[in-house]
Amino acid sequence: MNPIWKWTIGIVLVLLIAAFIGLSVMAGSPKDAYGMVRYAFPHMHRGTLKVGDDAPDARLVSLDGSNHFHIREKTGARPLVVIFGSYT
Amino acid sequence: MVQIFNDYKDHADFLTVYVREAHPTDEWQMKSNVKDDVCYAQPKNLAQRVAIANDFIKRFNYPIEFGIDDINDAADGAYSAWPERFYIIDEKGRIAYRGGMGPFHYDPKEVRAWLAQRYGEVKHDAPAPPTTTTSSTAPAS
Repeated sequence: MNPIWKWTIGIVLVLLIAAFIGLSVMAGSPKDAYGMVRYAFPHMHRGTLKVGDDAPDARLVSLDGSNHFHIREKTGARPLVVIFGSYT
Repeated sequence: MVQIFNDYKDHADFLTVYVREAHPTDEWQMKSNVKDDVCYAQPKNLAQRVAIANDFIKRFNYPIEFGIDDINDAADGAYSAWPERFYIIDEKGRIAYRGGMGPFHYDPKEVRAWLAQRYGEVKHDAPAPPTTTTSSTAPAS
């Protein structure tokens, strides 16, 4: 094999291993690093909303599971603090 | 966040939007989820999502108004909200504050600072230091 290819492959492997180790440290463990790459990254979107933009609307379901309301129904009278999150 | 709600609920409205799970059992489950007994698979339909949201409300007696994102993740898509994020929408319906993406850039202190700048700071007494007494509760040797 051409020595240039050997070096290129070696450097890429070292960088990949270093990236995985760094991600493992950041995430807490190799398993968490895998979880981050497999499940978190594909769903993370920084988005394009900026301060000053019109707040988008979305229909939400009430806790009873049958009634609905819109985020924008809650805006207008006072500032609305919106907390997005999940249980886990 | 509940403390911020209690401090500023007379000035601002609060809405929690429950979006898809961040660490379900069938995806990236964390040890802390097991320790805290918060183990749920990713909901596949709205009924499952509603059930988990109700479990959360009951467990923590959560006082803030709650809405659940549709199973198609419309709110998440509109706000790029997953896994967790804050926004403040002003009276004109415009984004007044856009928080960073959780968990690394999710900062309730920024929300508090925005509200404090507008409505004034709410101060809390520092927690009292542990009291020391002369009567020992240690077992007699």
